[in-house]
Amino acid sequence: MRLFFKLVKRDIYLVIKGASDAGAAILFYLLAIIMFPLSSGTESNLLTTISGGAIWMAALFASLLSLDRLFRSDFEDGSLEQIVLSGISMELIVLSKCFAHWITNGLPIVLLSPILSLIIGLDFQYWWILALTLLLGTPSLTLIGATPAALSCAIGKGGVLTALVLLPLMLPVLILGSGAITAEISGLGGTGHIYALSAILPISLLISPFLASRSIRLGWE
Amino acid sequence: MSNTFNFLANPSRFRIFAKNVYPYLLVIMSIFIIIGLWFGLFNSPPDYQQGETVRIMYVHVPAAWMALMVYLSMTIMSLFSLVWRHPLADILSKSSAPIGAAFTLIALVTGSVWGKPTWGTWWVWDARLTSVFILFLIYMGHIALVKAFEDEFKGARAAAILTLFGAFNLPIIKFSVDWWNTLHQPASVIKLDGPSIHVDMMIPLILMAVGFLFFYFSFLLINVQTELNQRKLKKLFIKKLNLN
Repeated sequence: MRLFFKLVKRDIYLVIKGASDAGAAILFYLLAIIMFPLSSGTESNLLTTISGGAIWMAALFASLLSLDRLFRSDFEDGSLEQIVLSGISMELIVLSKCFAHWITNGLPIVLLSPILSLIIGLDFQYWWILALTLLLGTPSLTLIGATPAALSCAIGKGGVLTALVLLPLMLPVLILGSGAITAEISGLGGTGHIYALSAILPISLLISPFLASRSIRLGWE
Repeated sequence: MSNTFNFLANPSRFRIFAKNVYPYLLVIMSIFIIIGLWFGLFNSPPDYQQGETVRIMYVHVPAAWMALMVYLSMTIMSLFSLVWRHPLADILSKSSAPIGAAFTLIALVTGSVWGKPTWGTWWVWDARLTSVFILFLIYMGHIALVKAFEDEFKGARAAAILTLFGAFNLPIIKFSVDWWNTLHQPASVIKLDGPSIHVDMMIPLILMAVGFLFFYFSFLLINVQTELNQRKLKKLFIKKLNLN
């Protein structure tokens, strides 16, 4: 467990130092949300209906951008190999990487969401459901994305292919997350969506470390 | 039974098996599909509400079943490939993906052709349609991933990991019509309390489903032969290079 936090601390430190582009992904998140009112008109009725989906989509793309480099830089300079050689199980490394990614990418998205919901015109009484769905959804996005990110290391080139493989797997989270907000606004109540969303998190927590570590080992074969 | 499996596990033996067996499967497939089409187009009653458009169902439903079936078999083969590192399982899974994608596309297109006169719209974003569309995207991702690797063994292993990950979608597709209130009608054939479809429509449906199943088997064997022949060619080429 101490090693786990050491690994997490190292990754967060690397982000603060600017070695990874997680900070740029947050900026992208802000920019993408500003794009929505600029592209689809500043009419407040329209914005209220699309705002939940817009914020969710921006969050999805922001994590997609930074996920591509989740393992890559460590994989390429060999430090991932060294960490494995020191005797820590691969699954734990994957979990620590995902946790650090969520701290640096998912958490800022969640924290910024109430302010952004004001900018984009979501009624402020719904901020809690937006923050709650993002809080449940962003760790799932990170965990689901870990396997394709590890596969892109094994291929040696990522980019479009990672997105192609990753997006269909992420779609259920997007549907449930933005669906909860839409259902809450329309008066149906978003709790059903939230239950389903919170079921995805433990399932992906169980499956993805194994599949992601298999994928990284595939790159070393 | 296990002896037969062990015998066929050898890729070169499987190649000979595939070469000998696939013509028979093609014949069986054609018989079932021709009889099924005859029943479906000429010898079954039109629906009292949908009229003649109900006949699209005889292609749509078996194709949708096969889309799920192919993915299920790919999942099982991926498990074999990851746990026992079976070379044949890789090849079978890789060769299944394009067939499954084709079945999914057929199900989506026929469904939308049927939906225009019946529902009044080509497409709705309800749970069943969306989840099948996601299945199609996963199939395409699988095909792209296999092609991205230069080493075909690595590519197959990577695709197996992706297949296992994408298998979460199967129960969602199957139960989407029960869990959510969808425009797509709920299951009427594969149900716990027996089928609720009339026997006159059941006959062509089952015939077509068996025909599609044999379509999958025969084309799978053709694809596997191509794959195995390509690998053999590569081996021969390398041998020749070494000799020179």
